[in-house]
Amino acid sequence: MTVLGLALRYLRGRLVTTALTALSIALGVALVLASVLLTRGVEKTFMESATEYSLVVGAKGSPTQLVLSVVFRMDTPTPNILRATWERLASDERVDVAVPVALGDAYQGFRYVATSPAYFAAMPWRQRSFAIARGRFAREDSIEQPSYEVVLGAETARRTGLQLGDRFFEGEEMAEYPLTVVGILRSTGTADDRAVFLTLPSFWGMNEVARKMQMKPLTAVLVRAKRMSDLPALHRQLNLSQETQAVFPSGVLLGIFNLLGLAEEVLALVLAIVASVVVLYLFVSMYSAMRERRREIATMRALGARRATILGLVLLESCLIALVGGGAGLVLGHGIAYGGARLLASRAGMVADPFAVGLLQPAVLACVVIVGALAGLLPALSAYRVDVEENLAPLS
Amino acid sequence: MRTAPTVALRGVRKAFPLAGGQRLEVLDVVDVELASGSWTALSGRSGSGKTTLLNLIAGISRPTAGSIVIDGEDIVAMTEPRRDAFRARHVGYVFQTFNLLPALSALENVMLAMMFTDAVARREHRRRAEAILSRLGLSARLSHSPARLSRGEQQRVAIARALANDPPLVLADEPCASLDAQTAREVLTEFWSVCRQDGKTVLVVSHEEAALAAAHRVLDMTGINRAVGGRASPELVRPA
Repeated sequence: MTVLGLALRYLRGRLVTTALTALSIALGVALVLASVLLTRGVEKTFMESATEYSLVVGAKGSPTQLVLSVVFRMDTPTPNILRATWERLASDERVDVAVPVALGDAYQGFRYVATSPAYFAAMPWRQRSFAIARGRFAREDSIEQPSYEVVLGAETARRTGLQLGDRFFEGEEMAEYPLTVVGILRSTGTADDRAVFLTLPSFWGMNEVARKMQMKPLTAVLVRAKRMSDLPALHRQLNLSQETQAVFPSGVLLGIFNLLGLAEEVLALVLAIVASVVVLYLFVSMYSAMRERRREIATMRALGARRATILGLVLLESCLIALVGGGAGLVLGHGIAYGGARLLASRAGMVADPFAVGLLQPAVLACVVIVGALAGLLPALSAYRVDVEENLAPLS
Repeated sequence: MRTAPTVALRGVRKAFPLAGGQRLEVLDVVDVELASGSWTALSGRSGSGKTTLLNLIAGISRPTAGSIVIDGEDIVAMTEPRRDAFRARHVGYVFQTFNLLPALSALENVMLAMMFTDAVARREHRRRAEAILSRLGLSARLSHSPARLSRGEQQRVAIARALANDPPLVLADEPCASLDAQTAREVLTEFWSVCRQDGKTVLVVSHEEAALAAAHRVLDMTGINRAVGGRASPELVRPA
């Protein structure tokens, strides 16, 4: 028998206490891991979505509302801008790409997003790519002959149940011009998964039919400059206009992150409290076990066990509980993250990778074992100091 | 089998500090030697220092003064880790209340003693533990936890544990005090039989007639401990 074997037998001997202690550690670790995975996922989604374009140009108003509505579809769209704004930007020498975006109402909660093929085009600077899972992209049409074809985001298709070839419309006046599903996108892990994409002519055609509106408005233009050095002038020029504002999405994102930072700090505090409670529970568990076993420890000492061996035994038990709890916590944490990621994907179109494996997991496990050793240190020292003669005295 | 040691106690005294800087002297024994392979019974009234003396010889505690030589080595002069290692290798200890570890089986309790010394090769631990338990009639109880053993069986396991490392010296502190008379006789007989076959030097604290009758000599603790009014020389109830 080895010290490890002895430690395992002791843990098995008080199975319920050991299991409960390991469970409390597992819950604490799971909470921390799931929080980190989901937070990272959300931040990554925000960053990837917001940093592809240099500027978002829209109507005067709140920059945050503009970015949130156009990039993340999280707010009500800002007022419209003129189509001419896009045309001017598209022909501007300083502009590499200008993508028009028009946000409409929603079908079963999934917003209509009208844009040009450039929105889906593969570019060297894009961090994500659009790919068709089934069907095809909507064909290019004209204002005179809108196609009324739509491409669904992955989540939209899943939640609405719409299939290729399905036709749908909203409002009786649109019954003669139903939209036809011609493609379903692969999941991108962004808000685009929750969109109903259509062409601008189709969108404007819908507006004409439904609202008797002759205008051909846009909500925003996504702009990527050819050179970074052109951005300040472009930004200033667009903001001097009485109709438009231009915002750096990354700047808005920074503001949002700063706001979220407070929530993260509160979350970190809560997690720290949870971790403290777990450590305290482990300490109490080990300490009470040690006190119950003073006679057994004295017996082992009488059999020739060194103080260091007893110290190591108690520390090993504490570390083993922490290791088992930490390991279970990692599995549970990924499970919780998986549930959270699914919820985020369905509610906000954000995809966090719940099974992202990196240095985080071994780092968490190592920290848990170290903390386990620290929690077991005092009980171990107490065991180390057990008075053999006193504790071997016959029981009355 | 090794040659059993001679245990020699020279000027051994033990005192405990009291509040106010005073000291309570509990032991001041006359010089005593235990011959190799001998069976010595230690009797005496409660509080006369029998268990304290046993713990000193085992190296569990240190005397305030004097020397305790076992197998030619003065354990008082040893550092604690060295004394622990020496105890694991050279001294078997049988407790009054068995002190088996409840989380371990009978076999594991015996193997436990071998864990703290390299007296027996690791791969031999199981085989040796099984062999000792079989000698004590417990071959059918190897996997049983202490709670599933009778008191007599528990004490046999404790004896097996004390003999696990083949120590030359075996100390037993009232090994039969927790047993009924019949079981006590049986356990003592087996204990004595095994120790005699293996040539162990045995010092047993006991008031059992069987133990006293089997002993080569009986030391009256009340007589040899000056701290409780004993005389200057060991009072041998029956010379060896």
